[in-house]
Amino acid sequence: MHDTLAISRRNALWGLVPALIVLLLFFSAFGIFFLSSLQASGEAGGLTMAHYARYLGSPSERDVLWRTLWISTELTLGSLIIGYPMAYVIVRSASSGWRRFLMLSLVVTFLSGTVTRAYAWLIILGNSGLINTFLRKTGFTDAPVHLIYNETGVFISLLHFVLPFFVLTMMAPLKNISRSLEDAAVNLGASRWRSFFLVTLPLSVPGIVAASSLTFAVALSSFLFPLVLGGGRVRMAANAIYELIFTRFDLPLASAGATVFLVLSLFFVWVFGMLQRAVQLGPSVRQQ
Amino acid sequence: MRADFTIYSRSFFMLALLAALFLLLPVVFIFLYAFHTGAYFSLPPEGFSLRWFYSFFGNERFRQAMWVSIGIAAIVTPLSLLISVPTAYSLVRGQFRGRELLNLFIMSPLIIPGVVTGIAFLIFMSALGIGPGFIALVLALTCFTLPFAVRALVANMHGLRPELEEAARNLGASEASVFRHVVLPQLRPGLLAGGTFVFVEAIDNFSITVFLTTMDVTTLSVESYGYIRDFDDPTVAAMAAVLVVFSVILVLIMGRVVGLDKMFRVE
Repeated sequence: MHDTLAISRRNALWGLVPALIVLLLFFSAFGIFFLSSLQASGEAGGLTMAHYARYLGSPSERDVLWRTLWISTELTLGSLIIGYPMAYVIVRSASSGWRRFLMLSLVVTFLSGTVTRAYAWLIILGNSGLINTFLRKTGFTDAPVHLIYNETGVFISLLHFVLPFFVLTMMAPLKNISRSLEDAAVNLGASRWRSFFLVTLPLSVPGIVAASSLTFAVALSSFLFPLVLGGGRVRMAANAIYELIFTRFDLPLASAGATVFLVLSLFFVWVFGMLQRAVQLGPSVRQQ
Repeated sequence: MRADFTIYSRSFFMLALLAALFLLLPVVFIFLYAFHTGAYFSLPPEGFSLRWFYSFFGNERFRQAMWVSIGIAAIVTPLSLLISVPTAYSLVRGQFRGRELLNLFIMSPLIIPGVVTGIAFLIFMSALGIGPGFIALVLALTCFTLPFAVRALVANMHGLRPELEEAARNLGASEASVFRHVVLPQLRPGLLAGGTFVFVEAIDNFSITVFLTTMDVTTLSVESYGYIRDFDDPTVAAMAAVLVVFSVILVLIMGRVVGLDKMFRVE
């Protein structure tokens, strides 16, 4: 950065005042919320860890947390497998038509509304929906294939939800890999696959970590898709917390659960951050 | 190197195409389903009608929710941008200790699960005596959307040519007038991109919003969730079709002005 461009400390601090007010609001909300998870029930008052003990002591709540972590891992891997080629083709395609088509599919999806998409999958995957009707008419099956209200439906709809996050984050790091390195490998006689696995893929590891980190975080906090396509049978951590409030009316337990969930999410953000620093490449191999 | 030489293999391209078709399937499907005559899905489709559009716009609760959603977005978008311009400027051009940490704090609403933010605001607003409702929604969504606006503006400011500001400073302009006359006019792409993100998020958000709506003050996302839970007909598909057309037009205009790849550049 050019030092001559720096603004005075006083002006910089004034500029931050509005944001600091918003942050104060945001973190006061979390402060009060955190307090409510520590409040002892009954007339006695005082602080207690009882709600945390209750939450972590419940096998079903622990099971939901594990399942949430597992589904998020599967979703991140799924995004990597189909999202990486998509980002790569967008960045490297010689045809601006294909580039534009792929970009448009991402942008339209991103902007089409989450409730809309959840509803669309409900009808597409439902027992008398698009896929099952098609399978029946073509004589493939007689009985409907159950695709909703189970983990399959939640996975498909969530993969669709998180994929744009992965691709949009993966594009910039791929663009920064010097094309001449890949071309050199091919010119020296490597096959395209060999050049990909030995040159492009290793150079894009930092990008993969960054994109996976965002995808995992988004997947972890998913709420609406399991709510609509899980039909109460498949629950993720956010859904379990919602149920604690709106069906069991146990606000302190929900706050304790939400705090545990928050700490868990921040822990994974931190782990990915460490991973990212570990795989960061020197500036020499990146295109300037 | 020949210009038409593709560095990736055919199977890579097929995977990318498959991903794009997978992404487009629900959007295209819901758009066609909105014109379906019957209340239930059938193949081949049962004719073509606009009856679900009438059903959507004729529904009192949907109309009310639409105005609430538009009202929230109309307040949150300018508010969020107004806060982020000085914030982004201080983050990019200011030199003070703890800048990285502050940036992390400002971005934190993006990482914190929406349900957690929703519960926190529900408890906080009730403790303040405001309770759930329009004001709570505006406050919570302003906090939630701020990172989107700040990100877009920070990216915009990083791309500015330093010579312009340097020249103005060397010619004796004050910091305030450099900002007002040199920096501000160059922020149009960031404001448009950030504003689009904030607007869309403010209308679309569900996981925070669902905690802060009341019987009378409800948003399109929460109302349409309630509808698909209780009814089985394409009314929500008609709403989706309207929203999709609206957002595609919005993005095409933005793309014309700013460029799509610039707008969705993720730093």
